[in-house]
Amino acid sequence: MKRQVLLPLLSILIIVGGLLGLSIGAGNSVLLGLDLEGGAEVVLEPVDDIDLSGEALNEALDRAVEIIRNRVDGLGVAEPDITRQSNRIVVQLPGVEDQRRALEVVGQTAELRFRPVCAILPAVPIQLDQSNNQNQDGSDDGPVGILPTDVDAPSVEGAEEENAGPMTSTPEGIGCENLGFTPEEALGMQSSDTEDDEAEDPVILPLLDSEGNPYQRLLLGRTMLTGASLETADASFAGFEWQVLPVFRSGADGIDLFNAAANACFNRQSICQTGQLAIVLDGVIESAPNVNTPFFERDQIVISGNFDQNRAQDTALVLRYGSLPLEFGDPTDPTSGSRVRLVSATLGQDSLDAGITAGIVGLAFVALFMMAYYKLLGLAAMLSLAVSGTMLWVILAWLSETRSLALTLAGVVGLIVSIGTSLDSNVVYFEHLKEDIRNGRTLRSAVDQSFPIAFKTIFWANLASLIGAAILYFLTVGSVRGFALMLGLASILDLVATYFFLRPLVKLIGMQKSIQDRTWLSGLPTPVAEEK
Amino acid sequence: MNLLKRMYRNETSVPFAKLWKPVGICSALILIISVGSLGFRGLNLGLEFEGGGAWEVPATGIEAEEVRDALRPLGIADARIQTGGGVLRVRTELSKVAQSDLQQGESSDPIVAQVTTALAELTGQNESAISVSTAGPSWGEEITNKAINALIVFFIVIALYITIRLRWEMAVGALLAVAHDILITVGIYALFQFEVTPPTVIAFLTIMGYSLYDTLVVFDKVRDNEHLLANAKLTYTGVVERALNQVFMRSVNTSITSILPVVSVLVVGSGIMGAVTLKEFALALLIGLVIGTFSSLFVASPIATMLRNRFGDSEADSSRSYRLSEAVRKRSKGNQPALKVPANPAIPPRPRKRRR
Repeated sequence: MKRQVLLPLLSILIIVGGLLGLSIGAGNSVLLGLDLEGGAEVVLEPVDDIDLSGEALNEALDRAVEIIRNRVDGLGVAEPDITRQSNRIVVQLPGVEDQRRALEVVGQTAELRFRPVCAILPAVPIQLDQSNNQNQDGSDDGPVGILPTDVDAPSVEGAEEENAGPMTSTPEGIGCENLGFTPEEALGMQSSDTEDDEAEDPVILPLLDSEGNPYQRLLLGRTMLTGASLETADASFAGFEWQVLPVFRSGADGIDLFNAAANACFNRQSICQTGQLAIVLDGVIESAPNVNTPFFERDQIVISGNFDQNRAQDTALVLRYGSLPLEFGDPTDPTSGSRVRLVSATLGQDSLDAGITAGIVGLAFVALFMMAYYKLLGLAAMLSLAVSGTMLWVILAWLSETRSLALTLAGVVGLIVSIGTSLDSNVVYFEHLKEDIRNGRTLRSAVDQSFPIAFKTIFWANLASLIGAAILYFLTVGSVRGFALMLGLASILDLVATYFFLRPLVKLIGMQKSIQDRTWLSGLPTPVAEEK
Repeated sequence: MNLLKRMYRNETSVPFAKLWKPVGICSALILIISVGSLGFRGLNLGLEFEGGGAWEVPATGIEAEEVRDALRPLGIADARIQTGGGVLRVRTELSKVAQSDLQQGESSDPIVAQVTTALAELTGQNESAISVSTAGPSWGEEITNKAINALIVFFIVIALYITIRLRWEMAVGALLAVAHDILITVGIYALFQFEVTPPTVIAFLTIMGYSLYDTLVVFDKVRDNEHLLANAKLTYTGVVERALNQVFMRSVNTSITSILPVVSVLVVGSGIMGAVTLKEFALALLIGLVIGTFSSLFVASPIATMLRNRFGDSEADSSRSYRLSEAVRKRSKGNQPALKVPANPAIPPRPRKRRR
């Protein structure tokens, strides 16, 4: 009987201790936020010769801020500080001690790629079904058409392809040739991660409708040309609809590459069987127009389709600048207004020290209270808190390493608050225990009977917190997201520590004969109702 | 037996139902003051929301605290001060008018020139070496909009969750209690014109989470007592009152364990060690946590009870037989011999006969 209790108790102690050891051994530690430890700062100033001014410049800057924020958020859960100072954008990244790293995060320009559409797949991966093969003929319902303004342009043979870069997993070939798997096999495959979007590999990406939900997935071949071939792009209103007008560079690296792709698609060659050419930015399909002509003049290309004004202008901006709607000076170039440097904390060590001292003092008072009120059970509660606290530290340190989480002062105070709230599950259990014993149960049976009921209460209440945390985490950005993460973690750890540590520990206490008769030690009433 | 001892033994019989009305009136008054000050005075939104001005001075070896001391006479000791890369940067709030003037290259607000002079004196730099620009909000509208949308989804999902798990009346009660807590806390910020910063918003969210959690624990107890409705043993109000008495000590203890650390932040962190930024933050949390516990007993419960008495089918409740307990017995079969299992685990076993 005793072994049944000691075994889980020892296992969790070993697991938690082992995790702590691993975490320390791996050198993981919790990063501190901008307010406590500072970080790296990148200042971006638009180049002098931009043709934007006034409201247009203002909007472009706002959009750039939004794009940078999305990019930083996409990298993890750090709480960056992204602001505009007049016409400059100031990006501060917590926990980054390397200026080059900061530049990578902020300055990395999105890559624009043109890929042939090899097959159209349903929005959700399905099991292999050989008979149903509608992939090859999906071209007719392509949402967008590509047309030259100069219709009687002669058709031209495909030019030399140059994109035979290093290939790791997939066999040689261009476009849709030799993918390494058939479109039928692709039906059952998961969509590619945005991060795995390698130029030289085929990818499967979702096509989104206006609400951002995937309604189709496209199997895309290897990149045929990139945004580097583009010179500029514009949006214009032509009679009855909005169009995007890209202009390619002249020569072998520009329009020739595009025409080679266009020709292959127009002739439904094996490298572009569907006749559709997808424009992919940062792993997101911007558009997948049908190619309706085999040859284009470099400045006579029109992408038309169901564009409204915003989308046409956004697409043009994306084509023009890759990602940021403005050209910024190079931060490493001292003559430009842009800069990169390390910055100090806004609050600093004093605040952190104050927070930590206050936390320790608070914790001491809580421990005193719990032990005065619940005696031995109070001690058990504090041990349980230590277990969940250790697990929290391990997880935070791990997230700091992998997802660049950084603890701000608000986070520290949040942790202090969670001390009190995570003790609530203990209080709920102990109160139930006391009530049961007072009602006549023996300590041993009360320990067994009370836990499921108390745990049910705790479970459903924590589940509500967890649902809330998940919603906030996935729908928000910045510090609200950081809060959601903390709330979710605290709820899960509360349940884990209560179930796997507190329950066997209290059971162990309940088994001790010596404790059962000493109410001053157990903090529990004697089983027999006293005189009223 | 004295009251403390009775409390310790969970044998209080606080007539909660009688207290609901007077406490509710007080609560409503506080709520009116809160909403009123929110409406009339508005919130004092910080630099992160409203933007302001930014000063950049070429300076090395200067401590943030020195700068803070120099700015204190100007009433902007809460400015965001950062050093690094040979540049000292000070950011502080400015009115919208002053910001747009600054954008035009003028400085209508005297504070702009005053800060420039103070910084020049401190660093020994020429005033012309100091660049002044506007500082945009780092917590832009985009973030706020996303947060608001997320909160709407949050409330809808939680309402559904409580309706499925407990009752719709309880969902209404719990969400109104959360709204009550947040409004009062935010109202205090409006009343005293405390500066609202991103950590403050996080404090509001913390209070929201805590309040919801606390209410759910209380409602769970109410549900466990609902078997007493059967055969008209108790009215619904009676059931709730009984449950609140049972859970009262737990509420008190949880409040104590939650509040002690926050009081410590307030007294030790901000009072003794002087971390000013912690003060208002901890104060908001303190008030929020107290109200969060209070509202479960005095806002959420009465609302849920009232709705239930009004819309619930009390006939069906009181004539309900013991089907509930049968379901429970079936479920717990297999674990232990059925005889030993109490009909409903939520019903405490009958006291043993007193030993002589």
